[in-house]
Amino acid sequence: MRKSKRSRRRRASPTVRSLACTVASPASTKAKMALLDLFIRTCCILALLSREDFQRIPELAINPLGDRIINAFFSEGEDQVNFRGFMRTLAHFRPIEDNEKSKDQNGPEPLNSRSNKLHFAFRLYDLDKDDKISRDELLQVLRMMVGVNISDEQLGSIADRTIQEADQDGDCAISFAEFVKVLEKVDVEQKMSIRFLH
Amino acid sequence: MGKRKKCKLRDIMEDVGIEIDGQVESDSESEEDEVKDKRSKKQTRREIVRANRLERKKSQKNKEENESKEEENCPQQSRASRRKNHRMKRNDGKKGGGERDKKASSKDEKESENKEKKTNMKGKEEENKQKKGRKNSASSNSSNSSDEESLSEEELAMLMEEVEQKKKLISTMRNKPWRMMKKLSVLREAQAFVEKFEGALGKGKGKKLYAYKMMMAKKWVKFKRDFDNFKTQCIPWEMKIKEVESHFGSSVASYFIFLRWMYGVNLVLFGLIFGLVIIPEVLMGMPYGSMPRKTVPRAEQATAMDFSVLWDFEGYIKYSALFYGYYNNQRTIGWLKYRLPMAYFMVGISVFGYSLMVVIRSMARNANESTADGDDDNFVFSWKMFTSWDYLIGNPETADNKFASITTSFKESIVDEQESNKDENIHLRRFLRVLANVLIICCLCGSGYLIYFVVKRSQTFSKMQNAGWYERNEVEIVMSLLGMFCPPLFETIATLENYHPRIGLKWQLGRIFALFLGNLYTFLLALMDDVNEKLAEEDVVKNITRWTLFGHYNSSMENSTATPAPLDPADVPRGPCWETTVGIEIVRLTVSDILVTFVTILVGDFIRACFVRFMNYCWCWDLEAGFPSYAEFDISGNVLGLVFNQGMIWMGSFYAPGLVGINVLRLLTSMYFQCWAVMSSNVPHARVFKASKSNNFYMGLLLLILFLSLLPVAYTIMSLPPSFDCGPFSGKKRMYDVIQETIELDFPLFVAKIFGYVANPGLIIPAILLMVLAIYYLNAVSEAYQRANAELKKKMQLQREEEKNKRNNKASTNSMMQDLEDLLAPSTKSESSPKQAEDKKKDSPNQASPVGKQEKAEVLNSSPIAAGRRAAFIPPPHVLVTRPLTPGTWAPYPQPRQPWPGGRPMGPFPGRGRGQPRYIHPV
Repeated sequence: MRKSKRSRRRRASPTVRSLACTVASPASTKAKMALLDLFIRTCCILALLSREDFQRIPELAINPLGDRIINAFFSEGEDQVNFRGFMRTLAHFRPIEDNEKSKDQNGPEPLNSRSNKLHFAFRLYDLDKDDKISRDELLQVLRMMVGVNISDEQLGSIADRTIQEADQDGDCAISFAEFVKVLEKVDVEQKMSIRFLH
Repeated sequence: MGKRKKCKLRDIMEDVGIEIDGQVESDSESEEDEVKDKRSKKQTRREIVRANRLERKKSQKNKEENESKEEENCPQQSRASRRKNHRMKRNDGKKGGGERDKKASSKDEKESENKEKKTNMKGKEEENKQKKGRKNSASSNSSNSSDEESLSEEELAMLMEEVEQKKKLISTMRNKPWRMMKKLSVLREAQAFVEKFEGALGKGKGKKLYAYKMMMAKKWVKFKRDFDNFKTQCIPWEMKIKEVESHFGSSVASYFIFLRWMYGVNLVLFGLIFGLVIIPEVLMGMPYGSMPRKTVPRAEQATAMDFSVLWDFEGYIKYSALFYGYYNNQRTIGWLKYRLPMAYFMVGISVFGYSLMVVIRSMARNANESTADGDDDNFVFSWKMFTSWDYLIGNPETADNKFASITTSFKESIVDEQESNKDENIHLRRFLRVLANVLIICCLCGSGYLIYFVVKRSQTFSKMQNAGWYERNEVEIVMSLLGMFCPPLFETIATLENYHPRIGLKWQLGRIFALFLGNLYTFLLALMDDVNEKLAEEDVVKNITRWTLFGHYNSSMENSTATPAPLDPADVPRGPCWETTVGIEIVRLTVSDILVTFVTILVGDFIRACFVRFMNYCWCWDLEAGFPSYAEFDISGNVLGLVFNQGMIWMGSFYAPGLVGINVLRLLTSMYFQCWAVMSSNVPHARVFKASKSNNFYMGLLLLILFLSLLPVAYTIMSLPPSFDCGPFSGKKRMYDVIQETIELDFPLFVAKIFGYVANPGLIIPAILLMVLAIYYLNAVSEAYQRANAELKKKMQLQREEEKNKRNNKASTNSMMQDLEDLLAPSTKSESSPKQAEDKKKDSPNQASPVGKQEKAEVLNSSPIAAGRRAAFIPPPHVLVTRPLTPGTWAPYPQPRQPWPGGRPMGPFPGRGRGQPRYIHPV
């Protein structure tokens, strides 16, 4: 059983990489379709992706928040993700199109809506999933981003300051609403979009 | 409860997750769809019905597999998966029924609602079946028509309809709740169909045209994106500067940006001078050796090629097109009849004109930019925290740079922050600042007097014959000593002031600038002395030259009857040509400045860094942390060096047209050299600070130096007579006579007349007055605007603070309430959580949107625990006592707060569910 799992993984991982490449490189549409097809065939039926597969993508390996992004692909307590789960997470990054905005007025909010995109980002920071980014969580992120170059004391003051800026209800943590407020002027629709086929 | 919710969520995700599958596939077509997308609901419906039929077949096949898979994923949630299947069916039915009914598929209905819908759905399915029949016939029709080669009108129309349908299907594919496999197959089929019959719509020729148009549209989009990338890649040294910025902060980068800007300006000046003056002269003017001013004199010819002579810009270089003296005063040259003297004069003026214009324009633009986005300083740290990482970075080296830049930017913000939080004795600080300024003014006055004194002395020394080495070089020595010791002294004094480093840098720049002005003053003074001397000498030489020529011709007349052989140009005695002297002087200064700069960098930075780095292994103390350490990048010194150098260029470009070329080379090399030196051997400042967004201060210095360098040049042009035997203006009384000459000779008479009127002081003085008035008026207006702006900003800030305070107050009262409640009813606690959840369930359809709900929740209760308690029971009388304290908190959110007293859901993972599309979206 174990062996078969490993072999699955081996089959899946190059595809993941090539998918990552597809995302990054401007290849022709047809090539991408073919790639995707391959991916679907291999992944959808057989394979499950493991964390190592994700860690092989250089963008994620380098990213200080890479582990958390990878975690976002995995549901609670599982260490493998199937194609559907993979796509479900990626759906957050689908660009918002103009005609879409007007058309689905009373439907459910699509996964790629602004607030869902923001919520995805929010969850990267909210480690203990209590809907609040606390000071400790901020400190962890800071340590990952700046390493040892800034003293702990200063890091603490940065975290305090960040909370002070964003916090509106005085609970010394950043809730999702406050997070949204902070990033109000950031063009999230544009920035949190991956353009697959263009 | 939590599990159930999670599973629900999963279902939702699944539903929407499929969306992107469709999107990924269909995106390539979506552009086409947009072009020809005329909706008719009937068609969609039909199409969807067909798709539905297909789907039903497949879904039956897939059902078991699907279910088992689901169970594998979340094994204990069989109930949920069953529910999911239900939902999928329901959704299918709805979709089949017509428009994608978003309301129905919204995820927050209760079970009762579900049942209701299901019955509805059944009815709809009946409808579908009816339609299916109709549709079948249509599809069979289409297959028939595709077989035939020639199409009748009717068939064509039908085909068109079909194609439209397919397109619609493709565009709406992503919103369908189908299985992935099915979606893919349907999509592929539809795409193939559209591809095949698309062209048939336009008759024959239209096919190609359409395909071409689509291709071009796609190509155009791609091209635009590539072009944008290309444009950023084309910005010279952008990468280098970004790299420096990431390690050393924006202040050091601002120097390099300034350097790049200067390079651009100098390139334009270089093009102007070379294109309009030097190249025409070299190509069309008289060649070297044809006349005295273009020939090395006999006495100098032996050594004219020696390096030591050339290094001093004597010899052949002096008699080349790089300097003023080489140019001939011939009115027109070459077959083009190019008016070189005129061009020379106009280029000299336009160099200043262009520089002024460019400096002022960029200042204005910077000022605009700095006011444009000045209001976003509310969330400095939050933005840095949440948005600083670039998720597309995949290269380790770039990632290192990014880490460095994030660190640097945090450091910058810390410095800014410390500055704003500083609270100390304001009187003491004021006193210290005044003291520091007094000290520095004393220093400046002292050094000014010293310079004046030394220059006076040097004038007496120069008259003495046997002055020693020290006496001859006294001015230079004093100047360089001042330049070496004053800036550090100023810096030391400036620590008294305790300014923010950004403001401190400005003060430092201003002070050193004042010091260097002394430098400039002595230089100009020496130059003026030189020029006056040369002018006196010239009068003498003029006579000698005339007599020599006269004598030569006389003697040759006597000796032979033939036409006299002309005197060799090298033998003609010539004047000192003060213009060339000035030019050479400035070029020498520039070159020595370049060398000094480069050597300083090499020795002061690189050698020092090497020493510190490698001797540290075998030294008594820690070299890196201790005394010599690594050098910091000296922003103020470098900026001032650049500014003064540019002043020299402006001053000298009229008398030495080649100077700009030298400067372009200098800037180019110093860009690379300094970038390398900074990255290799400097350390970031102890207090990395953020440069102001607009480097208008640098520009201001530049403008000042431009004005200062304009003065002497204008003075010499307007009031000194040009040399009689060299340069394009020789033989004229004043240099500007060339314009008058051109107007008189080359233009019709009335132009000369008009020019005469315009030059009349009676017209000029009112014009200047008018301009002054206009400036005054505009200034007043802009000040008024600025005031209004500041007022508004202040208001906004106040509002924000107020809001915050209110919330904080309320939070504290809430905690008070909580304490009271704790005392009163500890038993209600246990009850609260499930009850609250129920409440929430009941009320959630009323919620407008997740965000709205969030905010409401925030207002109603800041801490969820307190909320839970309050939800559980009616506030006891004690609470009523506390309530009057917080009436203001409700004010900004006037929604009825009643039907929903509960807080957030208290499930084990409430964060998971939030923001997910469970609620009916209002917009």
